[in-house]
Amino acid sequence: MTTAVQVEGLFFGYDQRPLLKGVNLEVPSGSLTVLLGKNGSGKSTLLRLMGGLLPFEKGRVSLLGKDVRRISPSERAGLVGFLPQFHHPVFPFTVEEVVLTGRAAQVFFLPGKKDREKVRQALEALGLMDFRDRPYNELSGGERQLVMVARVLAQDPRIILLDEPLSHLDLANQVRLLRLLKDLTARGLTVLVVLHDPNTAVLYGDQMLFLKEGRILSPEKGRGPWEASFLSEVYDTPLITLPFKDRCLVLPG
Amino acid sequence: MSLKLRPFWFYLIPLPLALAALFFGPSEQMGPDRVLSSMRLLFGGAASADETALARSILWEVRLPRILLAFLVGASLTVSGTALQALFRNPLVAPEILGLSSGAAFGAALALSLGFLPLQATAFAFGLLAVGLSYLLARGRKGVSILALILSGIIISGIFTAALTVVQFLTDPFKLQTIVHWTMGNLHNANWDKIRSAVIPMALGGIGLFLIRWRMNVIALGDEETRAVGLNPEREKVWILLPAALAASAAVAVAGIIGMVGLAFPHMVRMLVGPDNRKTVPVSLAFGGSFLLVVDTCSRTLASFEIPIGIFTTLIGGPFFIYLLKKSRFTMGEE
Repeated sequence: MTTAVQVEGLFFGYDQRPLLKGVNLEVPSGSLTVLLGKNGSGKSTLLRLMGGLLPFEKGRVSLLGKDVRRISPSERAGLVGFLPQFHHPVFPFTVEEVVLTGRAAQVFFLPGKKDREKVRQALEALGLMDFRDRPYNELSGGERQLVMVARVLAQDPRIILLDEPLSHLDLANQVRLLRLLKDLTARGLTVLVVLHDPNTAVLYGDQMLFLKEGRILSPEKGRGPWEASFLSEVYDTPLITLPFKDRCLVLPG
Repeated sequence: MSLKLRPFWFYLIPLPLALAALFFGPSEQMGPDRVLSSMRLLFGGAASADETALARSILWEVRLPRILLAFLVGASLTVSGTALQALFRNPLVAPEILGLSSGAAFGAALALSLGFLPLQATAFAFGLLAVGLSYLLARGRKGVSILALILSGIIISGIFTAALTVVQFLTDPFKLQTIVHWTMGNLHNANWDKIRSAVIPMALGGIGLFLIRWRMNVIALGDEETRAVGLNPEREKVWILLPAALAASAAVAVAGIIGMVGLAFPHMVRMLVGPDNRKTVPVSLAFGGSFLLVVDTCSRTLASFEIPIGIFTTLIGGPFFIYLLKKSRFTMGEE
């Protein structure tokens, strides 16, 4: 199995305050990898660095073997799509117009037939066809979140990075989105997603990564990441686990 | 609220409107029959000699240039306002609110006063400088808030307006008259020279914005959202700002500051066709130009004396701005 995202010795901080202190990780191609950690542990920052949205000094990030700092923004857009956290636009663009902007790297002046087709596919995949002509800024938070996911799909990248895509979604939409992400990995895409709930990660993730104090924390050799002692350490909170299938679910202890 | 009308209908307005406007004017010697006969002359009709000279002069040297200038200025200010609102993601900005107009006015006055600087280029340079300063002043750690940008625009606008007064103060009385006339925001001394000097920067600005109109949609969603889909937001902003500043400063250089056009007209355009800039840019050109032409025609025919159009538009636009401010949910820079 090839590596979709490789991070080596990545350091990063805001205003001299170090946040990431030598992060090393690998995301296998075609996997659904979940990045977990406490609030403020740098998950979102790490995701943005991997997406090439933030410049960094030290370390290396490769996307499908290409150094993220050596590729043009438009080439990067073909490799990696990024779902930013919540966002509220000023103008009442329709859902279709918002999703169409995902095609920006491929469009010089005006989007064409192929772009509109990609948008249609993305809207269909998320069950948003009926929302096509609705003003985006009048939708609920969850619906908007799905629209932004559709925008990433319309961009048609090989790797998709999502920052807390489940926030604002009801349970039905959470399940729908997670299944869609699973389907995407089955079609060869790589998905890396920041989540808050370790149980979702246990249920859907192929791989789980834990960020603590600026480094990736791994469970001891031969043990799964869903063990109570390990997760309690990650979240600095006593947790207990319940066996579920071949893994465990987590509860407050 | 937007009606989502098809843009096509708006492209049909300007030509008939311009022809109709030729019939309006204060000259009592120039009734509709005279206008018609003078027009007929163009297509090889015959008329008596003395009548022709006067009619031709009024029609082709006074009314037509004025109609064209009103249209060009309206189109330029509107399309510039549309672009700036998308660029700054702020429905409350416009050339005159960001200081662009005052900067351009100062530049133009400087050029008129000194006599050796090129009018259009100086207006453009100072217009760009002013809008750049407003932006830098408003930029905080977390981006640019809607209210901060308006406040910094007011400050920069004030500084350039003061500087303009200084220029007037230092200018000899003979040139001063020209400058004062022009700062009032007026179209009444329109002539072919003014059109010749403004049409190239206006066309460049208009065409530039027309070409990148879809990218304005991308930029309007946010910096991070733009970067995520593979565009560099800072670079895109420059490509929007340059033509927008070019069109607006060219309008200011020939017609002075005609208030509120660049703010209110883009809103009307979005209400008519929706916010998609693929439509708003061409409709801004057609509708903005037509609308200012109507306002100008009213301002020169409603009263027995001519009401300066800048005063007219500000009287209409001021209350409109207050309405927008009240209506918007982002009054206190919450974003």
